[in-house]
Amino acid sequence: MNCEVAHERIVLGAYGELTDEQVHELERHLATCPECSHERQQVLALQSLAAAHPVVEPDANLVARSRLRLEEALDAVPPKRWYERLAQSIAKNVSSLQSAPVAASLLLIIGGGAGTLAGYEFAQGRLAHVAVRPQVAQIQNAQPLSDATPAEISNISSIARRPNSELIEVRYNQIVPQRIEGSLDDPTIRQLLILASENGSSVGVRDDSVGLLAAECRAGHGCKGEGFRDVLMTALRYDKNEGVRAKALEGLEPYVSEDMRVRDAVLEAVLYDSDPRIRTAAINILEPVEADTSVRQVLSTVANSDHNPHIRNASREILSRAPVIQ
Amino acid sequence: MDGPERVQERQQTRAPEAELIREAQAGSRAAFDALVRQYEQQVLRLALHLTGSEHDAEDIYQEAFLKAFRYIGNFRFECSFYTWIYRIVTNLCLDQLRRKKTRREDQAVVVDHSGDEIDVLASVSDNRSFSNPGKELDRKMLGERIQAALNKLTPRERMVFELKHYQGLRLRTIGEMLNTTEETAKNTLFRATKKLRSQLAGLR
Repeated sequence: MNCEVAHERIVLGAYGELTDEQVHELERHLATCPECSHERQQVLALQSLAAAHPVVEPDANLVARSRLRLEEALDAVPPKRWYERLAQSIAKNVSSLQSAPVAASLLLIIGGGAGTLAGYEFAQGRLAHVAVRPQVAQIQNAQPLSDATPAEISNISSIARRPNSELIEVRYNQIVPQRIEGSLDDPTIRQLLILASENGSSVGVRDDSVGLLAAECRAGHGCKGEGFRDVLMTALRYDKNEGVRAKALEGLEPYVSEDMRVRDAVLEAVLYDSDPRIRTAAINILEPVEADTSVRQVLSTVANSDHNPHIRNASREILSRAPVIQ
Repeated sequence: MDGPERVQERQQTRAPEAELIREAQAGSRAAFDALVRQYEQQVLRLALHLTGSEHDAEDIYQEAFLKAFRYIGNFRFECSFYTWIYRIVTNLCLDQLRRKKTRREDQAVVVDHSGDEIDVLASVSDNRSFSNPGKELDRKMLGERIQAALNKLTPRERMVFELKHYQGLRLRTIGEMLNTTEETAKNTLFRATKKLRSQLAGLR
């Protein structure tokens, strides 16, 4: 080992970067070379000297201040636009392909009537081939929500690289926001309201649609044979939100005496609904049919076994009022 | 990192890191915040020691985590998240060092009571300063002396020395963080130690 190499090894050795073999080799050299021994002394001295400028732990105030400032800044960051997320997901998928420089082309072919994508620029001028398939069933007279709203990408269905080419084909599905206006007599509106009652993207939407349908039913407008009643019964039985169930119950009220199915749905609510207010409201709705045997059976069960004392009392009261039909 | 700190951080981590990262990539702010808490102490420690200023350290912290937030979607698990974060921080630190380089005042040479230059390195290596009251060097002054010498390094040399000597990272990791090879990091370290030694030996 010559002294130049030894000098380097000394530094590496002082920082634990040598293999055991190298350490041994170095020691052998140092044993016979006073100059290099001195060199090592110097390096060790440097290390201890450097300790005079110690690493201090940041104090708690500094950490807290910094974090607070960061949280404020993060709160101010707008959420990622859909095309930024798309760019990221493309970049992720493409990077897993072998080598290939990513010269992807993103060309959006806009299907007729599927919507508009106006005025956006794709980062760094990348483009790719896509096929657009409309996600929403065709509805006449529908208008795109607005020119300024870009359609949302619901998923990327495939990415394929053309052999021997730099082109990459991306297939994705888009959700295009649409809007439509009309009265409650409009069959399309009614169709959408029915969809919304089960499929609304938020409780608010379900609440609004069930509310509208229930109002129609109470007013007696076309509740028969339109499937509205079925929708309300489904909502009463299965919707997770009590407000929605309550509205559905209201809508079914006029039909509890004439329609057995409605009566059964309301009885189920009396027995099984998790919300005591709904159970109470359902019991009250049963008044016109108190005399009915199946109703009395349910009311008996409830009078004995409901957890809620008010409900037990209410049931007993109704049972005592109505004459028993033999 | 110290033992108790490590334990505390592990306890704070309820999910394995990869899960947190994926959640953060999907947009979960809570997951990102958890990642920040895992690394913020280290980031501040490094930035603070390198810049010597709480204000600068705070700025670096801010920029680093904002960058991480913005680009976390690009993290592809090819390296460890630790390396990825450190890469962001070290680059910001390098920028900071380059900006400050031109403004820094040099106090390369220390003079004793009789006006003679002190070979600081020599005095430490044979313990003169600690045994001889006549040439006693203040610990604080020594610290300042070191800082001055460190400031004479190029930003990259400073960075490599910091990561190796003060943060205890392996040269290979340092190479990754600085986007270079282990070999280059090694050579940078040699240059840094050589320069420091000549500085501290009182030579200009």
